[in-house]
Amino acid sequence: MKFHRIILWSLLLSLGTFISVSPAQQPPPATPGSIEVVQVIGLPCVKQNTKGNLKVENGSLTFASPKNICEVPAASIQDVVTGADSQRVIGGTVGTVSRLAPYGGGTALSLLRSKVDIITIQYRDPNGGLHGAIFTMPVGKAESVKEALLAQGAHTSIPSQAQSTSDSPLQSEAMEQTN
Amino acid sequence: MKTIKRATILCIFIARLSAVPALCEQPHPPASSPAAAIEVGMIQAGEISLPAEFQVALYENLVQELQKKGDFSQAYRDGDRNAAGASGLVVLHTKVTGFKQGSELKRDVTTVGGATSITIHCQFTDKEGRVLLERDITGKVKLIGDNLRATDDFAKKAATVAQETLSPDSSSSDPKKPGYKNAI
Repeated sequence: MKFHRIILWSLLLSLGTFISVSPAQQPPPATPGSIEVVQVIGLPCVKQNTKGNLKVENGSLTFASPKNICEVPAASIQDVVTGADSQRVIGGTVGTVSRLAPYGGGTALSLLRSKVDIITIQYRDPNGGLHGAIFTMPVGKAESVKEALLAQGAHTSIPSQAQSTSDSPLQSEAMEQTN
Repeated sequence: MKTIKRATILCIFIARLSAVPALCEQPHPPASSPAAAIEVGMIQAGEISLPAEFQVALYENLVQELQKKGDFSQAYRDGDRNAAGASGLVVLHTKVTGFKQGSELKRDVTTVGGATSITIHCQFTDKEGRVLLERDITGKVKLIGDNLRATDDFAKKAATVAQETLSPDSSSSDPKKPGYKNAI
């Protein structure tokens, strides 16, 4: 019984160490107009699952991570799509290790989930090659990023909420029927 | 005694002779020629309702895996103008034929349910559009990882198929590997 308690305490302590270390990898403080996001995949200059700040200004989408800055011209963006998902509050290696916690502790930790918005873009590079990129961000931010991109010259296959409400009632009814 | 010895030697000799054609018989290579470069087309969702993030993750992972494996001199993206001048170019067309979006939470809690799987029909053609190889490849995430991890699993399997059957260094193919279904 004591042995189990020792394991539990050591696991909790190690988790605490990991969590206290993690703020060192936080992205730089967000500048006005930028949103803290995670670049899941797609941008050539940064690794997968990199945290950073996303900004839409001067006709381009800019992702700034602690190491690199990537720019995608809004005019080259062929499609912007928003979505929603949920993710584990404790993810990554720590999340994987925490699954081994005894007495169902791992399962309990996996129940702690946060909702996120997803924004997916498809764009062409100067050679015409198609790229895709996925970003996750706090809930309620994706739609504003999408609208900003559309205003700067990006295209979309699914009109944003603001656009669809400004359309005629007949069009919106038809869209609802198809959905 | 001598007769028995001679008969035994003769039998062994005949057995060896009959085995020679079997030894010489190599596994039949796929209907393809070694390719120097590959162009990856965008994943076509077809009639399947596939979220945009899955479509993009499939495509990006596939391009990255093909570049990482390094068996092709170049892995071009969809629409890349440089691909037009590449010799021995193989074009990969993909179409989603099955998609089941599971749940990471369900996987965590039950450890048996909530799997995500994506089945994609992959068609490798040459520049002229002649089909070199067709396969159905399935990407799955059964226990650990988020749903998008299934796209990574698919990309790894698809890159292995391309490497083993179409790249210049390909020596053999193993269609019986898990996750593959030879459609030819």
